[in-house]
Amino acid sequence: MNRLFGIETEYGITIEGVDKIDVVEESMQLIRCYSKADFVPLWDYRLENPRKDARGFEVDELLNDTDEKVHLQQDRKRKIPFKELKSDLIIYNGSRFYNDHTHPEYSTGECLGLFELVAQDKAGERIVSICAERRTEALSDGRVVMYKNNTDFEGHSYGCHENYLMDRSTPFDQIVQSLLPFFATRQIYGGAGKVGEERGAKAGIYQISQRSEFFEVIASIDTMHKRPLVNTRDEPHADPERYRRLHVIVGDSNMSEFATALKVGATALVVDLIESNDIPDVVLKDPVAAMRNIARDQTYQWLVEVEGSPNRLVPAVDIQRAYLERADARFRGQDDETDWVLRAWAQTLDALEDDYTGLIGSLDWVTKKFLIDQFREAENLSWDNPDDVIWMQSQDLEYHNVDRDNGLYYLLEAEGQTLRLVEDAEIADAMSTPPVGTRAYFRGRSLEKFGEHVKSINWDRVVFGVNGKHEAVDLKGMVDADVVRSCNEILDRADSLEQFIATLRETELQPVALA
Amino acid sequence: MNDQICSFERKQRPTGPLRPGDDEGGPSRPKVDRPDTQDLMKRMRRVDPNQARRYRQRTGE
Repeated sequence: MNRLFGIETEYGITIEGVDKIDVVEESMQLIRCYSKADFVPLWDYRLENPRKDARGFEVDELLNDTDEKVHLQQDRKRKIPFKELKSDLIIYNGSRFYNDHTHPEYSTGECLGLFELVAQDKAGERIVSICAERRTEALSDGRVVMYKNNTDFEGHSYGCHENYLMDRSTPFDQIVQSLLPFFATRQIYGGAGKVGEERGAKAGIYQISQRSEFFEVIASIDTMHKRPLVNTRDEPHADPERYRRLHVIVGDSNMSEFATALKVGATALVVDLIESNDIPDVVLKDPVAAMRNIARDQTYQWLVEVEGSPNRLVPAVDIQRAYLERADARFRGQDDETDWVLRAWAQTLDALEDDYTGLIGSLDWVTKKFLIDQFREAENLSWDNPDDVIWMQSQDLEYHNVDRDNGLYYLLEAEGQTLRLVEDAEIADAMSTPPVGTRAYFRGRSLEKFGEHVKSINWDRVVFGVNGKHEAVDLKGMVDADVVRSCNEILDRADSLEQFIATLRETELQPVALA
Repeated sequence: MNDQICSFERKQRPTGPLRPGDDEGGPSRPKVDRPDTQDLMKRMRRVDPNQARRYRQRTGE
């Protein structure tokens, strides 16, 4: 495909066999298990500003929900320095692994290839799982269990965000309006499924999405309070004159490789359409309500009200198909991955319309529903019995267990009952090998090759210590393919850090000596 | 620095169906049979019925 993208995943953490768990401490310790050596804080937080809004202003603070405000007050009494608490690591594969709001988070490096991104995302699962094993070995009691899901079933949600680099010249309001019908309906294939409701009547039902009921407004900069369908954070991590980063927070964490690829691939094509100003003429009457209603629709018809004639109801499948048809007309034949997405998207929508059970093993919500239904029937469980619902929620949770010997998804995978898009060998490689053709390669290989000289690092800058000076390499210019190729080759060829910095001075990156 | 970031052992597992091809030479719609759930049901019965009740997280992003 022809776009930089990546996935950030916040994991849930618990310890089986103990009564109470300090998630602040355990999330930090889990990250530390990646390294056998002492932690050295390198992440440069001065380059981050999540308060800048794409609508042209900056907020004083990001808002938290009520529970979290109380937790944060308690956290302030801890004597752990901020950098120690975050425990930020950059891995040789160019990804970031750190403690984000008491959730171990794995953010893939920037990818250009869709299946490469799937492998990098799965590599994150493997790394998290191995860290859990190591932490378990260090504990006197209990077993650390990590979940790639988005909820604790009691109203606390955590995210799986996607990032897409976009052309800055596209007006932000156009982006928002173009995305709303797509985002509200994308869950019919991207949803991970959930037992129960966490808001409102808390009905005993099966929803197709983990996150949909947590979205309350159309657009906002916040991600933890009154979550928006379109997040307005303006932090491109690239040249802000040329690019913006679309920070997508409406998605679920997917165990399925197919769901990850389809979700990201379809979204990337819709971003292409938005930049081409070629968007279907469909406007939802209430996108937030549509998001929630689709998730909890027990008829699986997913009808949503659109602007136009009164009470005009359109199936979510048709809205997705409207985007697909535009993408197909404009992008078919562009490259193999684009053609795969177009084909998979069409076939998935057909199957959802025809008989969604044909997607067992490929879409998470369908696969999980199949397991839950089988279990409910076998155990004669009732949706009206709260204890039965909690038992089913326990099964829901175990679907997302990233331990491949115990997680329900992985038991299906071991039996060959899930659709695989990447080989285990590719995932193993991705644990230490950065994506090709992007600055993630530069970031990861810089650490591998000259790590002892790296003084600080961020998505868009690496600072090296050279002969008593700090040389900052700004990676914002490493987007264009020619620049990326050239700079990555310089890195590969460099015999010494001095030579590397000197050669970079002849490129657009132009290292700058810091005072 | 090199010591700080260790390499993980590379675990290999049997793989499932990989990129099922079609006439156009790419991955296509999944062709997964309805799973035999006998072993899965055994595993699901071993899941603590109260696991979700105890599982409490803090709000993330």
